Amino acid sequence: MESKYLKEECGFSSLTVTEEASRCLLCHDAPCSKACPAGTNPDKFIRSVRFRNYKGAAETIRLNNALGAICARVCPTEKYCQNACSRTGIDRPIDIGRIQRFVTDFEEAAKMDIWEKAPANGKSVGVVGSGPSALQAAASLAMMGYKVEVYEKEKVLGGMLRYIPEYRLPNHIVDTEIKRIEGLGVKFHTGVEVGKKVSMEDLKAKHDAVLLAPGYSYGKNLPMFEGNKNVVLAVDFLKEVKAKAGKVKVPANVLVVGGGDVAMDVVTTLKLLGVANVTDVVYEQFAEFKASKKELDGAQKLGVTIMDGYVPTACEGKKVSFKHRVINAEISVEADLIVMAVGQKPSVEGLGIELVKGEVDAGKPYVTADPKVWVCGDIAHSRFDKTVVGGVRTGKEVALYIDMALGGK
Amino acid sequence: MVKKDLSITFLGVKFPNPFCLSSSPVGNCYDMCKKAYEVGWGGVVFKTIGPKSYFIDEVSPRFDKLNKENTPFVGFKNMEQIAEHSLEENLRDLRRLKEEFPNQVLIASIMGNDEQTWEDLARMVTECGADMIEMNLSCPQMTSHAMGSDVGSNPELCKKYCQAVKRGSKLPMMAKMTPNITDMVPVAKACLEGGADGIAAINTIKSICNIDLDKKVGLPIVDGKSAISGYSGKAVKPVALRFIQQMRQADGLHDLEISGIGGIETWEDAAEFILVGAKTLQVTTAIMQYGYRVVEDMKNGLQHYMEEQGVDHLEDLVGLANKNIIPAENLNRDYICRPNIDLDKCIKCGRCYISCYDGGHQAIEWDEEKREPHCNTDKCVGCLLCGHVCPVHAITPGKITIKPGRKCKAEDIKL
Repeated sequence: MESKYLKEECGFSSLTVTEEASRCLLCHDAPCSKACPAGTNPDKFIRSVRFRNYKGAAETIRLNNALGAICARVCPTEKYCQNACSRTGIDRPIDIGRIQRFVTDFEEAAKMDIWEKAPANGKSVGVVGSGPSALQAAASLAMMGYKVEVYEKEKVLGGMLRYIPEYRLPNHIVDTEIKRIEGLGVKFHTGVEVGKKVSMEDLKAKHDAVLLAPGYSYGKNLPMFEGNKNVVLAVDFLKEVKAKAGKVKVPANVLVVGGGDVAMDVVTTLKLLGVANVTDVVYEQFAEFKASKKELDGAQKLGVTIMDGYVPTACEGKKVSFKHRVINAEISVEADLIVMAVGQKPSVEGLGIELVKGEVDAGKPYVTADPKVWVCGDIAHSRFDKTVVGGVRTGKEVALYIDMALGGK
Repeated sequence: MVKKDLSITFLGVKFPNPFCLSSSPVGNCYDMCKKAYEVGWGGVVFKTIGPKSYFIDEVSPRFDKLNKENTPFVGFKNMEQIAEHSLEENLRDLRRLKEEFPNQVLIASIMGNDEQTWEDLARMVTECGADMIEMNLSCPQMTSHAMGSDVGSNPELCKKYCQAVKRGSKLPMMAKMTPNITDMVPVAKACLEGGADGIAAINTIKSICNIDLDKKVGLPIVDGKSAISGYSGKAVKPVALRFIQQMRQADGLHDLEISGIGGIETWEDAAEFILVGAKTLQVTTAIMQYGYRVVEDMKNGLQHYMEEQGVDHLEDLVGLANKNIIPAENLNRDYICRPNIDLDKCIKCGRCYISCYDGGHQAIEWDEEKREPHCNTDKCVGCLLCGHVCPVHAITPGKITIKPGRKCKAEDIKL
């Protein structure tokens, strides 16, 4: 039997996608499109599906979002387009993410080649990192005519996309999106850590601009859990499970600390891997929960025990004590494995930039103190969350700024 | 990104794309037509301009729609007559539109009530810069019997009025047909004899959409009463395609240039009209329901279709289906094509069983235990009703059997 961890949820068929698109009210000043950080223009592609123009729908998505098939699967749509949907005034929002997935699957099945590349402008941009924002920026710049080279420290491309569990985002989807960007002439280097193998000076000498997108790729920990051999960081855990296609050994009793999207990915993954007892202790109370509602619901349906409002007070070996933040309550949980999902942090060592509260602040969007060096993704300031779709937004925008600075054509 | 040239020449006039507003409420004034041009319509048939003497006095409300299950606007009923603005206002709008949009086509729809008014209107709209004239011989809700579809079902009168228009203008001219007639060909031929260069088909179908069950009156209710009026939208598409096909098949009309009208909403509808011989397409009901923006997906989808078909000129698709629609008596009746039921796809709803029993030949048998359908080939006549009702497309044309004593070979049959 195929592992539940590897099995993606069923998508729409041509029959059900028509039904869903027919529910769309085709609003005048479509709030869904205004709410999309990536500008994917859902009202236009849903209208195309409604009027049986799947290819046109695919063009709308792909021209606006280099990671359209990825966003379709992982975007917290209930916070953005679906939160804004007028259909809510009747019953429930249109399932926009799933319509987008149908269309991008159709695009792939029809082997559509949508992108057009402007003639080469003789200028080049080096991109550090290959996460969502870097991929989008690379695609946008390549289409504008820039020669783009991407430097990734890991052996695999994709950054955080390789941490998102397989049941939510299959690796082959990420591979296909990257291959499409490669088709634009973007050159990818893996296993190259800038600041070590290659220096920033080398990159600046080689390229007309250098774009830094290191992302928040390192897991955070809390002091009392440091050095404990029973403790693993969430991002490291997710990465290993995905790299090994779910073939990892996990004990029957796991404690997870944290309540964000990464924590939900961890607890759901554990359940799908067959872990009987998954206990998640979360600092926030349910009303202030950070995780997407969809992911929280999914975890709860699988039977994860979630305790909200607790702060860890002590950790001794396998035993962790917690105290409630508001009421007078204490618990202690003993587990064979403790997964810490208490946030991520960046590392910009050797990149020649400084971060303030995890972001570069040089006065204007995406710039640094060095006019030749730009930033995007998690370390860039943005009014949107640090999600895949937020990254796509910064990638699109920084490409425009770089183009303006380098004089376009 | 697909980029195919959608331009086409119709009656000697080059259209940037075949999509036009039809003469109707959607092209009622300068502002509306301006917006339509800006959204990307290739042409506009400005709402029919009538003689000065004819006073337009509309009812309120004036629309109704037919629903089926959860689908509104299956068909649409409209009681509006021709343009409500003054002749001067309409002529001013035409002039302004042509000045501001020289590359998009402006068609003036006109309707006279005698030879003189037809001639005068033709002259006036020509002076305003219109590229083409459409004669409205077919509005079914006029309050005068000297105008509208009563005229359009009389070939002699049509011919006479066409001649009058040709006296008033040298512009290319098409006559717009009423479908409220058994055979459109004699009327179309009379119009061509009278000087028409092409035909627009179809106008709306006389209808009663719904009856209010409490008040015992048709809808919409106008002071307790209602009237028969024109029906349009998706439901009339089959009727329009049929009339266009019949004209293109008539002797001497194989190359007839046609502007197709009737329920066009998607690029697929548009392609169907083109395949039966329409060169340009006119739309109203889809715009009334969804807005001018519907043209975006029609244009884009049609370009993708051209790409799939390997065609660079839209013209190359015109009329390709005409030769494949033949009289029923000439169809091959030598074989039976029985259904192939894909039980992996089947979700066991039993709808094929019900329809076959109650509306077919009792050939689909229902296995009560397994809850699944099977086809009894002894009873099956190959009507394939089952395939039409299957909600998951699990039933497709299957094995072909040649009827006893017939010479035809199964492998030669084209499904």
